[in-house]
Amino acid sequence: MPEIPRLAPDRRRAAAVAVALMVGLGDPRPGWALEQPDSPPRPARPSRPAAPELAAALAAYRTYVVAQADAFVRETARFVAAVQAGQLAEARRLYAPARAPYERIEPVAALFPDLIKRLDVRGDEFELRERDPAFVGFHRLEMALFTHGSTEGLGEAAERLAAETVILRDRVAGLAIPPAKAVGTASALIEGIAATKISGEEERYSRTDLWDFQANIEGSKVVFTLLRPLLADRDFVARVERSYKRVEDLLARYRSPDGGFQSYDNLTARDRNALKGPITLLAEDLSTLRGRLGID
Amino acid sequence: MHSPAPVSTRRRFLGGLGAAALLGPARAEDATPTTATEGTLVAQPFYGLHQAGIVTPQPAASLYVAFDVLAERRGELPHLFRTLSERLAFLTQGGTVPDVHPQLPPRDSGILGPTVLPDNLTATLSVGASLFDYRFGLARARPRHLGPMERFSNDALDPAQCHGDLLIQFCSNTAETNIHALRDVLKATPGLLAPRWKIEGFLPPHVVKTMGADTVRNMLGFKDGTANLDVRDPRLMDRYVWVGPGQEEPAWAVGGSYQVVRIIRTLVERWDRTPLGEQEAIIGRHKGSGAPLKRGHERDVPDYAADPDGETVSLAAHIRLANPRLPGTEGSLILRRSYNYSRGLTAAGQLDMGLLFVCYQADLSAGFVTVQNRLSGEGLEEYIRPIGGGYFFALPGTPRPGNYLGDGLLAAV
Repeated sequence: MPEIPRLAPDRRRAAAVAVALMVGLGDPRPGWALEQPDSPPRPARPSRPAAPELAAALAAYRTYVVAQADAFVRETARFVAAVQAGQLAEARRLYAPARAPYERIEPVAALFPDLIKRLDVRGDEFELRERDPAFVGFHRLEMALFTHGSTEGLGEAAERLAAETVILRDRVAGLAIPPAKAVGTASALIEGIAATKISGEEERYSRTDLWDFQANIEGSKVVFTLLRPLLADRDFVARVERSYKRVEDLLARYRSPDGGFQSYDNLTARDRNALKGPITLLAEDLSTLRGRLGID
Repeated sequence: MHSPAPVSTRRRFLGGLGAAALLGPARAEDATPTTATEGTLVAQPFYGLHQAGIVTPQPAASLYVAFDVLAERRGELPHLFRTLSERLAFLTQGGTVPDVHPQLPPRDSGILGPTVLPDNLTATLSVGASLFDYRFGLARARPRHLGPMERFSNDALDPAQCHGDLLIQFCSNTAETNIHALRDVLKATPGLLAPRWKIEGFLPPHVVKTMGADTVRNMLGFKDGTANLDVRDPRLMDRYVWVGPGQEEPAWAVGGSYQVVRIIRTLVERWDRTPLGEQEAIIGRHKGSGAPLKRGHERDVPDYAADPDGETVSLAAHIRLANPRLPGTEGSLILRRSYNYSRGLTAAGQLDMGLLFVCYQADLSAGFVTVQNRLSGEGLEEYIRPIGGGYFFALPGTPRPGNYLGDGLLAAV
């Protein structure tokens, strides 16, 4: 059995704070709202929020990221345990949930490209494609579990995967996320959906793309919601929230009875196109987020 | 500075870079062409009875992009069509790009620099049959011949490269100008349009300059377009290209034109291993001169009456099937406006190139469909494979700023 990493007490506290934040995310915290006049849909010049409010939002986001990195370690350990125990069905079931915390903070994790290469790269980025010995990580296990239908010989790869998640958690915990990166995460996650999720390339063996989709949206919306009180343009805020809601409503149609998602194969070309609309709108709108906050 | 090329007074020149920003969209009573040039300052009219890009002489570069409309409600369509018209009017006439704060994404891709020069751009907007399906309640306004492109016997149509709710044909002097226009349109329509397929075409610029005097060769090495309709003859255009009143078409469609786009791969490796005499027999023309077989000049008219059994020009030759020149077949004349294309390799490592066939006609059934049915079974089929495209209807022109392309259609139901 793999050792399940335990949370240090300070991490547990961080996680608790983040969870509390998540619960309250629907409403801006008292004192955050900035009294500013409405600005036009596309600002000619960004408005500059007061530094303390922005700093508080960024600190809250950092807490969220660390909590997700913790959850990633925890969920991956469960998945890895099932792989190592030879429980194929259980391993398949735990695959997508294990990835969700990572998909919520993927652009932050991407600050460590060496780690990502071992965690989350698809076979087609290697010279020998899926047969390349360097093809390891989640998608290597995904291919074995969902295409080959076996946990045979995956023990070592699974153990390495669990170890990588701990390294990621430790690095993230020690990381001061640059403000531009933190704010940029809101749009970077949407760009990821537009580039590889809509096409169904990401989870090509398991067809669990909608899990990633949902997690990306959640991660993006956390950033936006933390920053919302700092945004003067109410039309912009309303438009972005409509787009998030539109995507969430569409995704809700594809929920499975167990709380997960249907296979991405079930979506027709028209279904996928319907997702493209609000995703493209979000991508365009959120591309102005850093500028609106005056962050370089 | 660019030195202006000789053009007709109907053309609109920007009086140098500085003045570009001051100019609004040009007006034109129609889009009838005169001579082609390749000057970057040349602007084709945007407003007029008909859209530009149909009887306009072909510039060297084209880009065809089909879209799925993502709008979910009928009420979003006026905004979509108005936005498209505004962008296409700007892009075809040129101007300066508005400044943006450096902390925000620029509004323009910048690939043409801070001043957008018209560069002979036309952007022709067409609608596909699927726009008239259940989504927007437009079914009653559908042009009567507009349906999904059928599969002819030799077709190997790839659904991913076929059909679409809308199609824009960008034609200009350079690939960059077309790409710039496409990126501008995409940036202006988030959430409303998704590209479905796209293909770029080219013609040799030196032949384009003498369009009318010389004829472009296709990827088979043959002159293609010799016997085309003369776009300078408005009566021919009214008869064969533009939908007119009295054609039992919806009133809004008058002034538009049925547009056929076919991506026709030519199997050039095999063609290049075919004897010259056989190539010429399949086409019906001499490869070098372009003249009909046993004739001396490209523009000589083949005398089929004196060759009833096809001893000179085979009855199965491409030019004879396409245009038999018999009483009763003149109704099938079409205006061809094709480009060559080339884009990488097939799975087998062969060249993926061929003809981006485009034609316009007032009556799709009497025009392209009749011609294509005649061509069915021609000897050339062994060497060509239609893989994509679709049937579209090029909207009538829009007369002036304030109106927009498609407003007649949207007001019709």
